[in-house]
Order: sequence, then C-alpha cells, then structure tokens
Amino acid sequence: MAGVSFREVVKTFGKTRVLHGISLDITDGEFVVLVGPSGCGKSTLLRMLAGLEDITGGTIAIDGRVVNDVDSKDRDIAMVFQSYALYPHMTVRDNMGFSLKLRNEKQALIDQRVATAAKILNLEPYLGRYPRELSGGQRQRVAMGRAIVRDPKVFLFDEPLSNLDAKLRVAMRTEIKALHQRLKTTTVYVTHDQIEAMTMADRIAVMNEGRIEQLGRPLELYDRPANLFVAQFIGSPAMNIFDGVVQSGAVEALGVRWPANGGASDGQRVRYGIRPEHLEPASAGIPAEVVVVEPMGAETEIVAKVGDAPITVMMRGRSNAGPGERIHLAPQAAHAHLFDAASGIRI
Amino acid sequence: MNKFLREAKLWLIAIPILLWTLLPIYHIFLFSISSKDSAFSGALWPDHPTLRNFGTVFRQEHFYLHHFWEQIWNSLWIAVAVGVITLFIATCAAFAISRLKVRGGRTVMNAALFTYFIPAAFLAVPMYKAMGTYGLLNSRWSLVLAMVTLASPYAIWVLKQASDKLPWELDEAARIDGATPLQLFRLVYLPLMMPSLVAIGTYALLLAWNEYLYAFLLLSHENTIPLAVGLGHFLASDDSPWELLMATALIYALPPAAIYYAFRRYMVGGLTVGAVKG
Repeated sequence: MAGVSFREVVKTFGKTRVLHGISLDITDGEFVVLVGPSGCGKSTLLRMLAGLEDITGGTIAIDGRVVNDVDSKDRDIAMVFQSYALYPHMTVRDNMGFSLKLRNEKQALIDQRVATAAKILNLEPYLGRYPRELSGGQRQRVAMGRAIVRDPKVFLFDEPLSNLDAKLRVAMRTEIKALHQRLKTTTVYVTHDQIEAMTMADRIAVMNEGRIEQLGRPLELYDRPANLFVAQFIGSPAMNIFDGVVQSGAVEALGVRWPANGGASDGQRVRYGIRPEHLEPASAGIPAEVVVVEPMGAETEIVAKVGDAPITVMMRGRSNAGPGERIHLAPQAAHAHLFDAASGIRI
Repeated sequence: MNKFLREAKLWLIAIPILLWTLLPIYHIFLFSISSKDSAFSGALWPDHPTLRNFGTVFRQEHFYLHHFWEQIWNSLWIAVAVGVITLFIATCAAFAISRLKVRGGRTVMNAALFTYFIPAAFLAVPMYKAMGTYGLLNSRWSLVLAMVTLASPYAIWVLKQASDKLPWELDEAARIDGATPLQLFRLVYLPLMMPSLVAIGTYALLLAWNEYLYAFLLLSHENTIPLAVGLGHFLASDDSPWELLMATALIYALPPAAIYYAFRRYMVGGLTVGAVKG
C-alpha cells in the first residue's frame, strides 16, 4: 500500500494540451475517484499513473518514488480496464495467475494467490472456464481478480462498470467498495458517472478540460460546489441554475424573488442555483406551471415552468399535480447556492 | 415461393460454375485411369479403367519420371520452407508495425505492397540475375528466397490488418502484468493470431507449391527442380505420355487440396480479415 502524488502534471498530444498542471495527493489506502465528462483528461491522467502514457511535464510519485521513467511493470500497480482486457485464450485461472507467472513465481504460490482471490470474488466455480464462457459481471470480477492476485501498491480502475447493465453496475459498485474496505489498497478510479463517484469515493476529483475543478469528500462537493461546473455535474437530477440580481438578501430572477443566504452585495449579478430536492411544492411561494410529472415511487420528479424557464423539483412521496396545473414552490434558503455571474465561482 | 426462386437462381449460377471448375479435373482423372491407347478416345469413361499409370509413376518407370520422388520432395521442401520463412517474416513485421508501432513501419509495408504493381514476370529476369550474382542458381534456396519475396508483402498486409483487430487493451494489460515485448509476442499475440497465421502459412505454402515460372528459370537440374517443372518436361517431345502426365498431375494436386480442406475454416476467416477494416 502506498500514497500517490501528482505534481504539476502536464500532458500534450502534439500541440494539444490535455492536462494543464494537475496536482493531487492521494493518501495511503484512500479511494479517490476522478470524475468528469468525456475528454476531460481523467483517463489520460490514470494512464499516465499506469505508465501507459508518457508524462510531458511534472512528476508522478508512488509511495514517495517518482515513477516518470519507470516501466509499467515496475510501478507495482494493477489496472482494471473498461473492456476487461482478459486474455481470451487463457482460462480464468491462467488469466489471474499470468502476472505471477511472468515474474517466475513458484506454481504453489500462484495457485494459492489465485485461490484466495477467487474465494474473495466468488470465482471458484469458474476457474477452469474461458472468458467467452462468462457473463459480463463474471468477466469484470476476473479482471479484478487479476489485479488482486498481484497484491499491488495501487489499484487503478478505468471506467470498469461502463459495459455492464444498470442492475449489475449497482451490484458491482457495492462489490468494489466492499473489496476496498477489505483490502484497504490505495485506489484510483475513473468514471464519468457521478453517482458511481458519489457512492464509492473517499474523495472525488471533479475534472474538466484538463483541470481539477474541485477536490473533496462526496458530500462536500454536493453541499458546497466550488463553481458552476461542479454544481451542475454533481447531483442527479442536476441543479437548477438561472441568472439573477441580488436585492436585499434575496435574488431577483425569472421575475420572482428567490430566498438566498450568502455574502453577495446588492445589485450584484449572480447565477442562482438550487437543487431539485431543495424545492418543495407548498401552499404559497414561487408560482409555477407543471409541465411533466414523473412518479418514481418513493419520490416524484416534477418539471415546472417559472416564467419561461424549466425548473426541476424532486419531492418526497407522491404528487397529485397534473400537467398545466399551477403550483407554488418553496425553496430552502439554507440550500441555495450563489455563483458569480462572470466567473462562475461560488460566492 | 420466394425462397424457392432465390435458391433456384443460386443453383442456376452454381451448377455451371461447378461444371466449369470440375471439368478439367475430371479430364485429368479420366486420362490418368486410361491406358495409352484409349486416352484420346473421347469417351466419358474408359472401357478398361486402370490404375497402372500410378504404379508407373510411383516406380519411376518412365524416362520423364526418373526423378519423380526427388522432385516431389523438392516441391515439398521448397513449399514448406517458403511457408515457414514467409510466416516468420510476416508475423514479426506485422507485430512490429501494428503492435509496437515502430516508426516508419507503415511506410515500409506500403512500399512492400507497392512492388505488386510490377508483375512478377517482369521481375523474373532481375531475380535470375540477382540469384546468379549470389551464386544461388540451381539451388533450392534461390526459389525459396524468390517466393518469400513475392509472398511476403501480401502476408504482412493481411497479418497487419488482423493484428489491428486485436484489442489494444490486451497489450496494455500484459505490459502492466509485466510482459516484455517478446513475452507479449509469444504468450498473447501468437495464440490470438493463430487462425490468420494458419491461413497465411497455407497461402505461402500453396503459392510456392504451384509456382512454375520462377522454378523453371532459377532451377534447371533434374535433381533440383520441383515437380511442377518436371511435369512441364513431359511436353518436350512430340509423343508425350499424356496418361502418365495426368496421373502425376493428379498426385501433385492432392496435397494442396488436402491442406486446403484441412484448414478451410481458417482460410476464409483468416484471409478476409483484412478485407474490411473493422
């Protein structure tokens, strides 16, 4: 086990700069998720840590040792790929033991390590099968088994659940988290799915256009997003955001007054953000017209119009409202977010 | 009804093609089981079919057949050598170009393919000259080298296309698992490329087995020529023993047919893999 440290890491492909000086410290045993939209550089950063991409500038250190010029195989890492990358011509047993075989370990040790990993991952009945004879979830587990067997300092996951169906994804999410709690190996996990990030991470680094927008614990990011990008990226459904002007402690937007708390001065142009779950239908408040009602059982999502702007509301329980009906919304002032209109930074 | 019509159309095309292909082979077969007198009788089946011609061939009991076994051994030796060497060169080249992304690899491959713009017949004389310079004329190696030269560009191209289809993550996973390029080649690349390798090996082997022009040019001694050239010698006289020529030809045609039949599964899949870029 070991910590990982990125110092001013830069990556360019030809003339295109894809990472602009990333600095990030991951402590021993921590589970850090790199999350962001496609093309934000998260996978590139992970691949640089794995040694699969050259480092243009800055340094990457594993367990205090700078690994910029160290070969992948000597970095003591294990990686789980999105496509599983299992060797199709090898059985599950051979796939899992391959790295140890390359290290010329004794067969007894290989067998013992593979057996232990197979037990942890419930793969014992499948050891003699080929990858093509396994389901998606089982293949994913073999890929994880291959990583566990090596007992590396750092686990790297590159969107490992993207190829699975929704139900299996939730199950595997739990399995990976349980695995981490059991092994306590430092883990760097890349995903574009913010729910995966929220549910699994000790800390999340939200990335956009080659930069880390915010680094923090999941609920920190949710409660106090540092800027508009993080505010909109974290949380599902996404935060409602619209332009407004601060006037005597509230925000004038969409023709109505929205309660706010924050240090904005009167007359300042801001972007007002409120999460769907912090808006509730009430007997009095901001008038809105219902457009769509989506009941989900425990919760109901309502899309309503305030002025011309669509606003998403997530309420607990059920709603009797129908399309076209007029309702009133009560925003929770304590959960309102204000961002500078020009820079998008939290006020 | 529609299905019936579609099938009928297919049969209408298939039957003439089948006849067109099989007729010469039937002809060879007919000659080879006929006696010298009845070979040209024009009958669809000889009055007294005989296997004596084959006996004559196997016992080398004719002037043109005195080196039959030696020549078929030459054919086999040359074909296997061409198959193995072409496979070795093409596999290494495809691995280097496709997986190791060697600088300039693609250019080399394209340059090699470019040589196909020049018909092999035009290259025959320069090749003869080159082999003469190296003192290889009349050695089986001259034909092997010539055939490897002709077969390699296509073999590299097909194997490169097939290599491109292997998922890149496998290489990366192997690298992280600690594999050196050579281990990657041996333990991951070769097993996964097996169908294409069988197809290309067979292609090169059959190309050499069937070669006549270069064999005729580069080899002239009775002991060094392959059977294809030996068969050509039958036509040197006015009174050619056609029944023996055809019996020998039939024997000569059997190994390729057997090889093709054995590897037919790989041939179609392996050779078309490069046809469409996935």
